[in-house]
Amino acid sequence: MALHTSFETIEIADLVALAERKRDEGYRFVQMLCVNTEQGIDALYSFMKGDRLENYTIAGIDTATQSVPSVTGVFLAAFPFENEAHDLFGLNVTDIAIDFAGKFYKVAMDTPMTVISPAQKAAREKAAKIAAAKAAKAAGKDASADDLEAKLAGMDPEKAAKVRAAMEAKAAREKAESARAKQAELEEKLAGMDPEKAAKVRAAMEAKAAREAAQEKGGE
Amino acid sequence: MGKATVIPFGPQHPVLPEPLHLDLVVEDERVIEAIPQIGFIHRGLEKLVETRDIHQFIYVAERICGICSFGHSLGYAETIEDLMGVEVPKRAQFIRVILHELSRMHSHLLWMGLAADAFGFESLFMHCWRLRERVLDIFEATTGGRVILSAVCIGGVNRDIDDVMMKAIVDKIESIESEYKEITDTFLKDSSVKSRLVGVGHITQQEAEALCMVGPFGRASNVAYDARMLGRGAYGDLEGFEPILSDEGDCYARCKVRALEVNQSIAIIKELAAKMPHDGIGEKSKLTPAAGAQASSVLEQPRGECYYYARGNGSKNLDRMRMRTPTSQNLAGMVKALEGCDLADVPMIILTIDPCISCSER
Amino acid sequence: MGSFKLGKMTLRSLFKKPETIMYPAQTRYQPEGLKGHILNDIDTCILCGICEKRCPTGAIKVAKKDGTWQIDRFRCVQCGTCVRECPKDSLSMNPNYPAPAPKKSVEVVQKPEPSAEEIAAAQAKEAEKAERIKAALAAKAAREAAASEAQ
Repeated sequence: MALHTSFETIEIADLVALAERKRDEGYRFVQMLCVNTEQGIDALYSFMKGDRLENYTIAGIDTATQSVPSVTGVFLAAFPFENEAHDLFGLNVTDIAIDFAGKFYKVAMDTPMTVISPAQKAAREKAAKIAAAKAAKAAGKDASADDLEAKLAGMDPEKAAKVRAAMEAKAAREKAESARAKQAELEEKLAGMDPEKAAKVRAAMEAKAAREAAQEKGGE
Repeated sequence: MGKATVIPFGPQHPVLPEPLHLDLVVEDERVIEAIPQIGFIHRGLEKLVETRDIHQFIYVAERICGICSFGHSLGYAETIEDLMGVEVPKRAQFIRVILHELSRMHSHLLWMGLAADAFGFESLFMHCWRLRERVLDIFEATTGGRVILSAVCIGGVNRDIDDVMMKAIVDKIESIESEYKEITDTFLKDSSVKSRLVGVGHITQQEAEALCMVGPFGRASNVAYDARMLGRGAYGDLEGFEPILSDEGDCYARCKVRALEVNQSIAIIKELAAKMPHDGIGEKSKLTPAAGAQASSVLEQPRGECYYYARGNGSKNLDRMRMRTPTSQNLAGMVKALEGCDLADVPMIILTIDPCISCSER
Repeated sequence: MGSFKLGKMTLRSLFKKPETIMYPAQTRYQPEGLKGHILNDIDTCILCGICEKRCPTGAIKVAKKDGTWQIDRFRCVQCGTCVRECPKDSLSMNPNYPAPAPKKSVEVVQKPEPSAEEIAAAQAKEAEKAERIKAALAAKAAREAAASEAQ
């Protein structure tokens, strides 16, 4: 017997019917939790029977306009969690069997778990950036080139030519810059090595540069 | 029938180690309804996961509760290992389970002492805690801490238990065993104990299942569920595991289940110590959880099943960490058990669910 | 009416040595690896700041510029992360618990000023490095000259 967990997404309207079905099938209510996301609150309900732990997520609930029906009519054990969701996340849960109306937790402020800490904000921005970079990579360089072409096509020809020239110049500059930086880095490294080894490395680097140049020529 | 009166119970009450408030609606001496209220000590530990990285949060997790501290660090580490797909060496898993069973022994002995104190048996309380002290000495010798062990890291354990130490642990447990038998005899056969426990706070199996009760509280009402049955970690290497059940469903049965579970823990530790593998204790994982990845797992803690949920955001920190502790799951069952009991039995019934309020509020 | 089950144990306790000890006069046996407090051997410490980064409570502060390593013993939770992470093994766990105090304080360890010998050693090292660079440059010049000759 090993634990099998599964994650599924459901809609708000299906929640009570799902809980009733789970009760009739002999499942046990495990817990309910909320996650504060950018799209709203995710509510996650878990049921368990034997070795099957099933999690059902209602994604992106807008707490200002939407509310969630209570499952306490089916599973009374859910009342601490639903009150908690209301007090800490501001999730509106209707018809809780034992409703504390926001007085379950005595906390200094309303909905403390929806505050986005600076650390979390930074982490999210970083994740978004990485995701964006990945997406851009997946779309390929052609797309960005096409994008530029499309932009250029919309401009008048003279200006377009200028932009194109500027872009090319920029690319060349960047290339030169990076080459120089590499060279400098290499020199620094070599300075620390003993002369014999340094000479060998240098020879290898030069050979590599020559090879690359040859390839470029061949390509053109 | 007298007029209904509301009697406040807690948050400060001699029997309660932690702040739980109950509004008891009583008629004469009989409780007809109980409304629980927690939330006096919410500390926002789940929120802290955003500013502590996944390795630092272990130390936060084990401070959720002073008694099941090892269980929380273990459950947290297992969930994060699921999240990142980390393999833990067998030896590390064995050490984890041995420490977890030792902490179950210490938690149950502590609870038995508190229960004895609640029904007014002071010397039994002292003897229970004397034995518990031996278990704490084992912790001190193997991990360097008595209550907060800091023994788990994501990917393994921090400190090995060598064969000499393992033998010393088994010897010490055996020395506890004979004395422990006398204590269980007192709990299960003494007439003064029985007169306080038998038939008090009765819950039938149907009620227990409908209220989704977990842990010894549920098993005393014959709910055959113990998360150790799932065979996670080294529990899968046991010869066999049968949860300890009782069908009486009253305070006496809850006492009995816990008393026998200590014997079961002793057997598990002995069995695992005898077949300890030698494949290393693992090291701190260098992975980071992927953005949007989620994992959930359950772990049987001394008080019952604990549920863990984690969601990563691609950085060293997590987006959300959730621990659903056994006490919050058992609150509904406690309310049910209190209905119709005598006012004098209220402290006893509350204690037999082994409430841990700081666990459930985090 | 059942018998008093705890009788034997209670009687035995009457004639046994007490389980407790007279605390300030006697102290408990300290097992190996007991988590007491963190000590830093400042001579091997390189003030890299890894302990500061890994500390879950932010008890450790490292100032490389001033050459100080400081720990707030009232924040430290003796988890031992810094001891495990230290690249130079300069941190260690001492089994004695930190002493209680009426006031919170921060303990600062100052890295000693380098002695004359150490300064001399560092200078010698620098000189050696300069020598090597010079040799490398000379070798390069020679090779380049050789290459231009060959062309």
